[in-house]
Amino acid sequence: MANLLEVKNLRVDFHLEGRIIHAVEGVDLRLDKNETVVLAGESGSGKTITALAMTRILPPNAKVVSGEVILEGQNLMSLNEKQLSSIRGAKIAYVFQEPTSYLNPVYTIGEQIVEVMIQHQGLARKEAGIKVYELLRQVQINDPDRVFGSYPHQLSGGMNQRVFIAMSLACKPALLIADEPTTSLDVTIEAQILKLLVELKEKMNFSLLFITHNLAIAKKIAGRIYVMYRGKVVEEGPTARIFDKPEHFHTRELIAAYEKIGKL
Amino acid sequence: MKNNPYMLWGLVIIAFFSCVALLAPWISPLDPSLIDGQNLLMPPSARHWLGTDGLGRDLLSRMIFGARISLSVGIIAVGISIFLGLILGSLAGFYGKYVDALVMRFADIMLCFPTFFLILAIIAIVEPSIYNIMIVIGLTSWMGPARLIRAEIISLKTREFIQAEHALGASDARIIIRHLIPNAIGPVLVNATLGIAGAILLESSLSFLGLGVQPPIPSWGNILIESKSTLGIAWWITIFPGLAILVTILGFNFIAEGLKKIIG
Repeated sequence: MANLLEVKNLRVDFHLEGRIIHAVEGVDLRLDKNETVVLAGESGSGKTITALAMTRILPPNAKVVSGEVILEGQNLMSLNEKQLSSIRGAKIAYVFQEPTSYLNPVYTIGEQIVEVMIQHQGLARKEAGIKVYELLRQVQINDPDRVFGSYPHQLSGGMNQRVFIAMSLACKPALLIADEPTTSLDVTIEAQILKLLVELKEKMNFSLLFITHNLAIAKKIAGRIYVMYRGKVVEEGPTARIFDKPEHFHTRELIAAYEKIGKL
Repeated sequence: MKNNPYMLWGLVIIAFFSCVALLAPWISPLDPSLIDGQNLLMPPSARHWLGTDGLGRDLLSRMIFGARISLSVGIIAVGISIFLGLILGSLAGFYGKYVDALVMRFADIMLCFPTFFLILAIIAIVEPSIYNIMIVIGLTSWMGPARLIRAEIISLKTREFIQAEHALGASDARIIIRHLIPNAIGPVLVNATLGIAGAILLESSLSFLGLGVQPPIPSWGNILIESKSTLGIAWWITIFPGLAILVTILGFNFIAEGLKKIIG
């Protein structure tokens, strides 16, 4: 399979009150076209920062120190801010943890997605509106009419996450980075969203980088798993191998946590 | 509206004065600058509902036309100050660092001047016309709105939905105009309604000192100044314009109070 994304020796530092914290210390990642890869690790292991650094949407006190992020042969770290913003959303899109707070409270769902389409694809407002209905149906929202005119606070978390996924996929990105997209949702909704993401991936042919601390999810959806610990990738391999013969103690911890819950 | 009597009464009052101002040429009983030597300083009567001034001009007609001047000075001056405040405040809030330091120190410097005397000094240099008054009031009162909008934007810009916009590839200008300002505008609107009241009062004060709107154009302020010399014998020339100013400012304050309640 063809190589879509390659991250080489990515380093991110945080500047906190004069101290420098190495949040990501030389991460290497690789993603093929149409592949699902899970980036696992405990909280604070640097997985989210790795993902945000790929398009440099880091908090203001964080900085990419070195490394390359090569998407389809192009090193994103050498692009300026303007060139990068045409990659964001269009080539690499994100889905985040708390869907409701990631939607703008003063606009209706329809307006927000229409905005994104006008901005990236230069569609006319009316045309974009029709496409938004299509998108909402694609993320399996049964009553797009109601959702289109609703504000984020009027919808449930699961519904908002579908909306956010629709918005992220509006421009048919090559890579979707899902950063714990189901952590704030309840279990039944979680399963639905996971299933939706996997189905959409097959239908729309994007690669999925799924960030989670929950190896149960990884086992279900991932072809390969990267395990991060304290800013480094400590283990990498096909899902089956990781579960059969985990090499790093942190991998074993994560698996143990997952099995412990299974036994409860 | 029913459980928000402030808003209701404020709107009623302002709607009333706005209609009066808009319809002035049609509803004013007489020409406001028609001098009638036979009827100097006539008390309120059937022909002159609010009496006449020292030149025999109909006070009601003068006040009706004066409403145009006073309200438009208030609204346009505040329009200018909000416009400047929005631009400077959002740049300072969004970009922070030296942009913030530069803009806010400039605002501090402007706040150090007693506004009224600054306006007097400027008016002494440029000629006192109603346009100059509007511009000068606008230019000397943007600091309040700028500070408000800056504070709002600083707290909003780290919110998740703004991060999401970055991730979707929105430009800075787009994020500021489409996403930050609509979320930050609430307190600024409250401030603006109070500002209009303040600007009307300021124009009246300037006119009272003879540095505002120049006769024969009537404004509530310069009708008041003309009443000064005849205060002892013609109470109506002082009372009615004074009341008009009082009630209008009250109306705008009511609206501000009502808005505060709605925004929460």
